[in-house]
Amino acid sequence: MVDWITLAVPFAYLSVLIGSLATFSSLYRKRKARKATSLEPWFPPHIQRDIYFSLLHLEPSGSSKEKEKEKEKEKKVPESVLKAALLRRATEDIRRVMALRSQKQALSILLQRGSVGDDLWQRFLRAEKEMEEEVRDVVSEANAYVPGWGQTIFQSANEMVNNALIRERIEKHQKKLEEEKAWWDKKKANIQEGFMKELDAEKGVDSTKPAAPVAVESKKVDAPAAASAPPAPTVTESDEDAVLVEADDQPAASAAVQKSPGGGKKKKKGKK
Amino acid sequence: MARSVDLFTQYPLIVDPTSKAISLSTNTTTSTSYTHSQTTALNTELTTLNTLHRNLLSLETPGGIPPPPLPINPKRTAQITKLKDTANTAFRKNNHAEAVRLYTFALDMALSRPGWEPVSLARDELAALYANRAQAYMSQREWAEGLVDARASVEAKPMGNAKAWWRGGQCLVEMGRWEEAKAFVGRGIEIEGKESEGGKELVQLMGEVEEGLKRAAQATASSS
Repeated sequence: MVDWITLAVPFAYLSVLIGSLATFSSLYRKRKARKATSLEPWFPPHIQRDIYFSLLHLEPSGSSKEKEKEKEKEKKVPESVLKAALLRRATEDIRRVMALRSQKQALSILLQRGSVGDDLWQRFLRAEKEMEEEVRDVVSEANAYVPGWGQTIFQSANEMVNNALIRERIEKHQKKLEEEKAWWDKKKANIQEGFMKELDAEKGVDSTKPAAPVAVESKKVDAPAAASAPPAPTVTESDEDAVLVEADDQPAASAAVQKSPGGGKKKKKGKK
Repeated sequence: MARSVDLFTQYPLIVDPTSKAISLSTNTTTSTSYTHSQTTALNTELTTLNTLHRNLLSLETPGGIPPPPLPINPKRTAQITKLKDTANTAFRKNNHAEAVRLYTFALDMALSRPGWEPVSLARDELAALYANRAQAYMSQREWAEGLVDARASVEAKPMGNAKAWWRGGQCLVEMGRWEEAKAFVGRGIEIEGKESEGGKELVQLMGEVEEGLKRAAQATASSS
């Protein structure tokens, strides 16, 4: 009797120990597994792939019914559409594979330095593995449509990605056109305005009168001349000058500014 | 447990029976389960898919698949070259507005080149056409347009494109944007090198730009 009890004690001890270890390990593993599955995927959902499969699965839903209906359904999603969808899927794959390639080195360096956590690396590795399978899947699908397409589909997809990229960039430059044009028009107007102001200022100094618009100015120039001589085309040079001032815009007006002392002289001549 | 590779999201797609265009089904029960951004993303994707599909249908290759990037289909290249040549002659005859119009046609054609054709070819073509159109704009003293085209040209082909660098710089100079001109021409010199034929012209332009910068600085100093 005594023997049994003393024997039971170590056994009980052992069973408690092993039992607790087992529960701990199973709990730990479960938690780890859950954590691994709850890891965020590296990429956002693959729309192109989903569309491709959605299209693919539109067909079989009808095939279970009558034969005619099946044919109709097959017509509904023609093979060319599926090929296009597959091509779209391949281009997105190319983009992702390139992204992974460019990120890999930087990420591994960061991991070595301990700047990023281990779960990030786990997510990355998982994404890499998924992409490998995805690419293999696309190649086999392509070969199923047209034998040998699997070899070239990713070449085509690669060119498509790059072409889209360059067009997008050029488009960005071309979009700025309106903005640039508006800016330049405004600037041009500004320059002209500034020029006119300068002109007026010069004029003001010249005739010691407050600055006034060009039209008034020109009248001022020719008014005395007109007073002295009738506005007949036959008479003096000063008249010709005045016509010039009125006809042209600022370049001519600026010429008038320079000529205005001369104009003054002519006035005197006219008075004589 | 199914692996994530075998899973996909089923979208409620419908196919238009006549045009074969794919679109998202507009059932209220299904469309409410997606957020707004999701539907817009899906719709843009579907439009690109439909355009691609139409492009694929116009192909004459067996099986209706895009041909490998090489060899190139010479048809479109010949057309673009022809348009470019007519535009060049118009330009030489000082018919600049007409040249711009023809270059624009050629550009449209080059831009609509199907995506699976080699990107290097598209880049060369676009760079040359944009540079030429920039020149035609510049002859009409339309500096803003010229600048935009020159920028597009160097974006398409930065190397060996000294003309476009020079034209862009010249446009900026004409508009009095000295700082930008300095940056632009500087980058051009960096890429082209000072020794090359076009590089020398760029260096010369750089001298002008620096003088202009000095003058602009003096003007602001004296006015303030």
